[in-house]
Amino acid sequence: MSIIVGFVPTPAGEAALTAGIAEAQLRKQDLVIVNSAREGALVDKAVAPDDVLERAAQRAAEAGVTVSVIQPPYQHDLADEFLDVAREANASLIVIGLRHRSQVGKFILGSHAQRILMQADRPVLAVKADGAHF
Amino acid sequence: MTPVKATPAVPAGEGSHAAARSGGDAPLPGATFPSADVDDLTPEQLAAQWEEEKPPSAGPLANAASSLVVLGLGLSALVLSVVMGLGSPAAPQPGLWPFLISCVMVALGLFQLVIGRHNRDAEKFTRMSMAPLTGLVTLALMVALMPMIGFELPALALCIVWMRFLGSETWRSTLVVSAAVVGAFYGLFVLALNTSIPHLF
Amino acid sequence: MDFLNPVLNGFAVVLEPTNLLYCLVGVVIGMLIGVLPGLGPAATIAILLPLTYNVEPVTAIIMLAGIFYGAQYGGTITSVLLRLPGEASSVVTVFDGYQLARKGKAGTALGLASIGSFVGGTAAIIGLTFLAPLVASFALDFGPAEYSALALLGILLVATISSGSKTKALIAAALGLLLATVGRDAFTGETRYTFGSLELADGIDFVPIAMGIFGLGEILYNLEERHRAAKAPSKVANVWPSRADLKQASGSIGRGSILGFFLGILPGGGATIASMASYAMEKKRAKQPERFGKGAPEGVAGPETANNAAATSSFIPLLTLGIPANATMALMFGALLIQGVTPGPQLVDENPDLFWGVVNSMYIGNILLLIMSLPLVGLFVKILRVRAAILAPITALITLLGAYTINNSMFDVTLVVVFGIIGYLMKKFGFEPGPLVLAFVLGQLLESSLRRSLLVFGGDPMGFFGRPISATLLLVFVLVAVLPAIKTMLAKRKAAAAQEPETVQIKEKV
Repeated sequence: MSIIVGFVPTPAGEAALTAGIAEAQLRKQDLVIVNSAREGALVDKAVAPDDVLERAAQRAAEAGVTVSVIQPPYQHDLADEFLDVAREANASLIVIGLRHRSQVGKFILGSHAQRILMQADRPVLAVKADGAHF
Repeated sequence: MTPVKATPAVPAGEGSHAAARSGGDAPLPGATFPSADVDDLTPEQLAAQWEEEKPPSAGPLANAASSLVVLGLGLSALVLSVVMGLGSPAAPQPGLWPFLISCVMVALGLFQLVIGRHNRDAEKFTRMSMAPLTGLVTLALMVALMPMIGFELPALALCIVWMRFLGSETWRSTLVVSAAVVGAFYGLFVLALNTSIPHLF
Repeated sequence: MDFLNPVLNGFAVVLEPTNLLYCLVGVVIGMLIGVLPGLGPAATIAILLPLTYNVEPVTAIIMLAGIFYGAQYGGTITSVLLRLPGEASSVVTVFDGYQLARKGKAGTALGLASIGSFVGGTAAIIGLTFLAPLVASFALDFGPAEYSALALLGILLVATISSGSKTKALIAAALGLLLATVGRDAFTGETRYTFGSLELADGIDFVPIAMGIFGLGEILYNLEERHRAAKAPSKVANVWPSRADLKQASGSIGRGSILGFFLGILPGGGATIASMASYAMEKKRAKQPERFGKGAPEGVAGPETANNAAATSSFIPLLTLGIPANATMALMFGALLIQGVTPGPQLVDENPDLFWGVVNSMYIGNILLLIMSLPLVGLFVKILRVRAAILAPITALITLLGAYTINNSMFDVTLVVVFGIIGYLMKKFGFEPGPLVLAFVLGQLLESSLRRSLLVFGGDPMGFFGRPISATLLLVFVLVAVLPAIKTMLAKRKAAAAQEPETVQIKEKV
């Protein structure tokens, strides 16, 4: 059993990481940091640079949590990929970060977070960027 | 498409470098990143990695097949050139030059078939090869339909097929971008440049 | 100083607003193409050939040339920032350029590459300015015998120096020569290989072949490419190398310019070989060769200088002798033919505006590239975020619709699709498409020169060896043809004694 964190190099992603580390400490489970980006382009801003991922893994390790980092690319739908990973890692909890989006924004651009929430088959913890302190 | 699994027990040695390509890799807890090691590859190792990433090569059949096609082509060109009349170097007929080239082609084809049979330059046709085939079909359809119904609709269909089915874009972005692209081409070729491309609207 | 007059007139031609605009357009498109993996400068030039129909020959070549050497600049950006070579000639830049980027000195690497490219390109142009008229005047004495020998040698060199199976490259060249015979025979008026088709009676047009084999073939091939994982966008700071770095790299820049200049003139040579040779030379010369592969400035500056110098000097055989040195030059040759200009030694004298206009546009183009490449790096990296799935149909449509505008005929579009299939299959089966286009372009010239020389010699093929120049050229031809066979025989003997290290094949996509 492990905790899956959906990580992107943004405040929402960092918030999710903080919450994920806290949960992993509480439940005494492993942490899996997932940074997934769309296939097809050479550069994608959802991809976290190596040093950011290193720091993330270090934070977790310092908190005494066993951590692993994966960067699986996705083709059509991030939610599908993410939930596949959760299934394979036998996740007890999914942690994702939320950013504020207006109604129109959500409609036009869609929301990975919304799809993950709707389609998940296990508990999901959604954390806002500013309220990440426990 | 299943992701590369995260298994914390992967040894971070040379072996993991090959696996660290188009997916993820799991480092030892809190330990060094495999991608950091990957970045430290020497030029020779980097070149070797690129070799690994190349598409799988087809077997000996591909070489034989292509050589036979070349032979067939060369022989038919040769026969046709003889029909055209060869003449002599002093008084050449139209067939002389093509005859010379077809001879060279036949010789090269034989050479490739026999002496070059260990050549493995050809690439395998994988499931991914359906993509160019689909692309080709859409292009052929466009060529066939363009004179009759103009370029807009076939172009739109081509864009949609290429973006959605060959490129795994979402329906939303496919439709929006396709419409924009066809509109832009309409504006460019019909309105701005005033070419005589067959168009419907 | 009289001989500088046409040179100065050339500047007047370049500074006309239309030509300046097309130069800018060419180098920008070239940089873009260099940055984006997938399409190369040859494919882009082929696809944009229809654009050259309605402009002056000078303007057309200025733009196409800009695309060519602009792409050498652009390919460096992805090499340094993403460890992914955008062009074959930027492959060696990855080794040290990316390491510099990892140390936070991406700007240094890019700056060194830009400066080196500029110096290399400019040095090559200066060399061109002085060498070209010399070669052209020497070649004015060439008769049909010399031309046949030269064309044959050129085709052979391009086919054999390109990596991959040489036999297959030669087969491609032979096919190109055959395709050139389709249509009406110039000497007797009879139709050859037309199978009764009226459209084929006028021969196959060069542009649909180029667009199909290079353009559509490449697009179809890229559809099959295995997907790569995306990388994070990199930030580029300190976009100027330090004094110390510049000093360290200055020697390599100088050497790279000279090496690239001479390697580019050789048919079949070109930017890729020049960059690899420069890297090897710098590594040998260095007092601490261990630095290479870990971020040595010379490892970036040298190859980048050499590849730009070679790209520029590869124009020399085309503009002075009328012999294209590589596939991209074959496209330029074809573009000139479309405009009714036959490249050859007479070009310098009969069309000085064209010749010097093109040459001087390269000065301007290099300056433009230097100015743009550093500030615009961020912009180009942003462009990399566009997914291939969106670019592919756009380029395919540009190709198809552009093909229609050549002659307002669907037949040309059909030809493009047919040759697109052929181009794709050729790439799949390991046949280089470049020699085919080169041989096609030279096919008419070769056949007419051969027939004319045979007429002169009264049907005696040994007449070629009677004339000194053609004899030498044919001798070189024979040497180049049998050299690989001799080499493999010698290598087999040596293989018993020592182990041959595997050399990596990098395809010359020019």
